[in-house]
Amino acid sequence: MPDFTNPLRNPHDLRLPRIAGPCSLVIFGVTGDLAKKKLLPAVYDLTNRGLLPAGFALIGFGRRDWTDEHFTNYVEECVRARCRTPFNEATFAQLASGLRFVSGAFDDAAAFTRLSDTVSELDRDRGTRGNHAFYMSVPPSAFPVVSRQLAASGLAKSPEGAWRRVIIEKPFGHDLASAQELDRVVSEVFDPNSVFRIDHYLGKETVQNLLALRFANMMFEPVWNANYVDHVQITMAEDFGIGSRAGYFDGIGIARDVIQNHLLQLFALTAMEEPVSFSAADLAAEKTKVLSAVRLPKDLSHHTARGQYAGGWQGSEKVVGYLEEHGVDPKSTTETYAAIRLDVDTRRWAGVPFYLRTGKRLGKRVSEIAVMFKRAPHLPFESTATRELGSNAVVIRVQPDEGVTLRFGAKVPGTAMEVRDVNMDFSYGSSFTEASPEAYERLILDVLLGDPPLFPTTKEVELSWRILDPIEEYWSTLGQPQQYRAGTWGPAEADEMLAADGRAWRLP
Amino acid sequence: MIVELPNSTTAEISRRIDQLHKERGESAQSRVLTLLISTDEDHLEDVVETANTASREHPCRVIALVAHPEISESRLDAQVRFGADAGAGEVIVLRPTNGLTRHLDTLVIPLLVPDSPIVAWWPGKAPENLAEDPIGRMATSRVTDAMESPNPEALFTALRANWSPRDTDMSWTSLTVWRGVLASMLDQPPYLPVESVVVRGGNRLCVDLVASWLAVALKAPTRIERTEQDTLIGVYFHREDGVTSLERGEDTTAIISQPGQAEQRISLPRRSMVECLSEELRRLDPDEEYAEVITHGWKMVDHY
Repeated sequence: MPDFTNPLRNPHDLRLPRIAGPCSLVIFGVTGDLAKKKLLPAVYDLTNRGLLPAGFALIGFGRRDWTDEHFTNYVEECVRARCRTPFNEATFAQLASGLRFVSGAFDDAAAFTRLSDTVSELDRDRGTRGNHAFYMSVPPSAFPVVSRQLAASGLAKSPEGAWRRVIIEKPFGHDLASAQELDRVVSEVFDPNSVFRIDHYLGKETVQNLLALRFANMMFEPVWNANYVDHVQITMAEDFGIGSRAGYFDGIGIARDVIQNHLLQLFALTAMEEPVSFSAADLAAEKTKVLSAVRLPKDLSHHTARGQYAGGWQGSEKVVGYLEEHGVDPKSTTETYAAIRLDVDTRRWAGVPFYLRTGKRLGKRVSEIAVMFKRAPHLPFESTATRELGSNAVVIRVQPDEGVTLRFGAKVPGTAMEVRDVNMDFSYGSSFTEASPEAYERLILDVLLGDPPLFPTTKEVELSWRILDPIEEYWSTLGQPQQYRAGTWGPAEADEMLAADGRAWRLP
Repeated sequence: MIVELPNSTTAEISRRIDQLHKERGESAQSRVLTLLISTDEDHLEDVVETANTASREHPCRVIALVAHPEISESRLDAQVRFGADAGAGEVIVLRPTNGLTRHLDTLVIPLLVPDSPIVAWWPGKAPENLAEDPIGRMATSRVTDAMESPNPEALFTALRANWSPRDTDMSWTSLTVWRGVLASMLDQPPYLPVESVVVRGGNRLCVDLVASWLAVALKAPTRIERTEQDTLIGVYFHREDGVTSLERGEDTTAIISQPGQAEQRISLPRRSMVECLSEELRRLDPDEEYAEVITHGWKMVDHY
């Protein structure tokens, strides 16, 4: 394979789609929420777009006592409910002929033997040619047992010329030690290059657009540094509570759930230097560099904040507080809001704080990166003219309403000179497609193609834990997090944290 | 909403569009390109519908030109369509008559989206030299559909003779999915060189184009076998180990056969006009592969 180049793939031929080679996808936890809402519809949409190979097979592994027919009905139901592209009977029939279900528990060796038989049957009859990807849509506690079973049944090793890949979802552990342990368990069984960690945020168009915005344009990068930037705010706010996730969430908290992966990845892409190329290795090199240059605040009590939502009114809906949620320990000290300040020890960012915040039951659902600029060093106006002028900002809206906002001052019409903030808006929905591919479509296809740029590496995961661990450790010495009213923008502590630096949170 | 502007001027049309934008609280700034369509009354509604659907992926201003040189009085009738009667942009239908049809370029210049690419599309009849055509000259990319013209063979011969780097034809676009599958077949072992190729299909441009592409890319002798059916039927790669093929099956499936492997079925629906137009709007840079195919590849195959 190495010295073979396909004569039909000319680098100038920009129309030619990337179609994955023959393979199958095995999903553990196929009856779970993620598979139901995201993975199965994404697989169908990929089939419909003609990006999956002939003979593609999908194997569900689960505890239910299902036949292939049951499974097919289940998949059809999930697909019809959530697919993005139109439902087409012929396309589904094509996909359905490759659907298999293997029933069993994770500790049942016989079930894995059956899985192995199914895989061999597919290799023989459907031509999947020994290429198989295993999607671990299961809690991390099940990783070790599933990995061991895959190893024991010989499924983890591929014959010559074929591949085996494993896809794992966050959380990648709950601290550095557990992340390393998880990594050890998985890499005992799989080659490190075959492990794909999914952070679905990285599959989003806007996140990839951040790279285009920064590195394809002339007008942003020159001011993307400490000379012009005052500070950066990265926000991921949710308007819902923990729902039915108490079992997972309580004791873990939102910092581990969100800051460690999504927010630190967004941070790395915002703060990193220009990569040599957009290949996985070059991109990871820059992200790793900037993550390793992060300095934590000296006094964590001043520059971190946490909170817990109290009962109240979320907009028009009455909601209960975190401690009253079903399945939550009434004395729980788990945080549902977290904000931290990070500094970056590089020439580009010296003295520019990055504020990261995330929370549940906040004012609305929004994710954004706001680069806030310094005020002009001299304003040749009457001081009253610029009283209402804030600082310039570039805001990358990750979701919803994906796009970019520029904020700057403009003259208020009238005879007097008065300058006020205005917004200039670019919205993905109106300039490009109304139906952009789901993040999971892109990511699943990338796994099947073996194309890793959008997946965080072990090193990045470890560095992220190195940033978060000391903060978690400090928080564990404190008592109850401060309560905040549901539907507001977090605890008073968070506002004080920025006020102490002479700044304020944006109202997204 | 359709606003009729009989016996109008371009100034009145653009004023009316600005006014409609303001009334509807929309910004006209988010249009990413202008799509110029040259068509006739019979095909107008179909192509506008196609453009509207494609504009949901690429919000654009659509300007459809329906020239009536046969009418002796010189006048410009126009129509502006918004909202439900347009896609994610607005549609302007221009019906110039008599003398006005001789300078269509200055007719559309005041109506173009500022500082944005222009795509010219001839869904049927097209001029023989696109780059010299007044509309074609100002376009960033020029798309024809020779198969839909009254005399495909004559038109495509002329288009090929006068070809310039920004021209493409929809028959080529319609092949993208087939080409993707063919390329993915050679991605797989055994990595044997293709010794010769047979393409089976009817007397359609896409059959000739896929054969020309394979001939130039694989540098292998390529032969067309004409069939009764009026479409692309199959592609057969002859290699040392036998024949690897992709054949159209019943309805929307296709079958991949390879020596020593089980037959594989793949869903390969015919590409709709909307998909083809969307693809054209996605890539506005010159298509170098197509250039190679029609300048070199075409001569390597017998197009009897």
